[in-house]
Amino acid sequence: MIDQGTVEGLQIGGVVPTTAAGRPARSYWAESWMTLRANRVGMAAGSLIVFLAVVAVLAPFVSHYVTHIDPTKQDLDSQFLGPGPGHWLGADETGRDTFTRLMWGAQVSLGVGFLTVSMQIVLGGGVGLIAGFFGGSLDNVLMRLVDMVLAIPAIFLFILMSILFTPNAVTLSMIIASVGWGVVARLVRGEVLSVRSRDFMLATRSLGASSARLILRHLLPNVLAVMIVAASLNVGQIILAEAALDFLGFGIHPPTPSWGNMLSNAQTYFTHSTWLVIFPGVMIFITVLAANLFGNAVRDAFDPRLR
Amino acid sequence: MLAKFALRRALAAIPVVVGVSVITFVLMHSTAGSYVPGLSLNPNLTAQQVALLRSQLGLDQPLWIQYFDWVGLAWIVQHVGLGGLLVGAHDVTPGLLQGSFGQSMVDGTSVTSQMFDRLPNTILLSLTAILMGIVLSIPLGVLGAIRRGTRVDHLLTGLSVSGVAVPQFWLGLLLILVLSVQFHAWGLPFLPSGGVVTPFSGGDVLDRIAHLVMPATVLSFFYLAIWSRFTRSSMVEVLSQDYVRTARAKGMGSRRVLYVHALRNAVIPLVTLVGVELPGLVSGGLVVEVVFGWPGIGLLTYQRALAYDYTMVLGLVTFASVLVVLGNLLADVLYAALDPRIRLA
Repeated sequence: MIDQGTVEGLQIGGVVPTTAAGRPARSYWAESWMTLRANRVGMAAGSLIVFLAVVAVLAPFVSHYVTHIDPTKQDLDSQFLGPGPGHWLGADETGRDTFTRLMWGAQVSLGVGFLTVSMQIVLGGGVGLIAGFFGGSLDNVLMRLVDMVLAIPAIFLFILMSILFTPNAVTLSMIIASVGWGVVARLVRGEVLSVRSRDFMLATRSLGASSARLILRHLLPNVLAVMIVAASLNVGQIILAEAALDFLGFGIHPPTPSWGNMLSNAQTYFTHSTWLVIFPGVMIFITVLAANLFGNAVRDAFDPRLR
Repeated sequence: MLAKFALRRALAAIPVVVGVSVITFVLMHSTAGSYVPGLSLNPNLTAQQVALLRSQLGLDQPLWIQYFDWVGLAWIVQHVGLGGLLVGAHDVTPGLLQGSFGQSMVDGTSVTSQMFDRLPNTILLSLTAILMGIVLSIPLGVLGAIRRGTRVDHLLTGLSVSGVAVPQFWLGLLLILVLSVQFHAWGLPFLPSGGVVTPFSGGDVLDRIAHLVMPATVLSFFYLAIWSRFTRSSMVEVLSQDYVRTARAKGMGSRRVLYVHALRNAVIPLVTLVGVELPGLVSGGLVVEVVFGWPGIGLLTYQRALAYDYTMVLGLVTFASVLVVLGNLLADVLYAALDPRIRLA
């Protein structure tokens, strides 16, 4: 990869600035992106996530045009029908098609996963930036707040809050994000503290830049990498937590299909209809596995602390 | 020095505990408001009777008074003879500060007594899982480090990556499906699928162990995944150190080098990692407890949340959170005892 870059540099007459090591200077992001692209496991995992996201988005079309089955359509003739031509992955106690429901379930898992992680990044990143930049008593108050939120065991807090909202995908994301933001805030704050003391910050400030400008134009780009890494490492855990809440009955409720509530339902019938318990679990497992592997690859490529 | 550090940390933990109690209380009350399960469903109660019941429960008081009651400050105020300061006349009961976590909204039982009934089960399950995790992860980590890059190593890496990605409730269901349901169907000896003991059996040790096997395995799988990975990388690092080469060069047997010199140094950092799990001792197994019907704190919280027994849930969540804070405190002090540098920081 590096050789290629050098050749490109030569072709346009060596005007590309080079570093002391003699390789062409690339931006931090370009270099990280190249490292990520070279990570085969990571890219395979990333592609799988993209594929699942496409399936989730296209679920209504596939169930309308390909399988011709609605996810909530009951068909008592195919009650507990095993996997086969009519129902590729079997049917449940009211004859609903497992394959179709799994496709729709991907909407919940991935939707909540991405929505939650965005909320965590915005809230946690914001609090981390403010606490780290202003320091002093504001920092103290915000960090103690983070301590408190993180002291309440996550699953207990989720249950407490699920009684508060009747969860749909958005409120469920808010519930899960209400815990994870604390971890992001701590990470970002730590990074801000180290960036804040650098000379360029002092220089910019002495030029008269406002606090808002300093934070948004100068601090944020420098801690963005840490935020991206934290986000990509979190997605897997969020999907697991969401599935667990659905399973316990504190998340998305039937008839809306989600992988977690399908498993919860399967508990009653799994002694005779094993496919009901196997397939939704496999979907959760594969998705979380791919999310974790992709997260690791992103960390290896983007984390400035590993450079 | 250490005592001073411990005291400083303990003092810093107090505002966190107070904050946690406020957060859980406010959340619970904005959730349930002043809902009393079943009260509005009883057609025999007149509006006056409902109002009377609500005032007896203290639910007609402003939120901050209810909080003072719950925490036990009102009780203190009354018992030092300043009861006249309290707004309105209502029964003042002991609160958190007196060690009472409140009363159930559903059956009126004391949260504290319910909690301590279930606590031994939860601790038994978590400790067994942590112990299984340690005992299995160290040899597996060492194996991966010695056989680095081989098929065995790849297999162990795969196991560890899956351990973090597999949903615990699903793993639990699969184990029940195979070890209880299928083994029973095949006429093999099978494991019980739920509970702590077989009902009406008296519950001897073997029976208890049989019930413990599956939930503890599921719970320990996650620990195993993280700790074996950690032991492996730590061992790989230690094996490349000079003192290991020296020990080998002077003709020491490879087993002795491995187990006496290398392993000891590789495992020290694992103490930190196990310490991180300490706060989750009570709350970490909720999902597993639900799947296996294990009567611990987690299952109790789950059942009471489904029944809208919000005072009970409030007490349990607060209790679990206080334990997390205490666990963190204990871990901090332990590290400081092990590593003097932390004390000075």
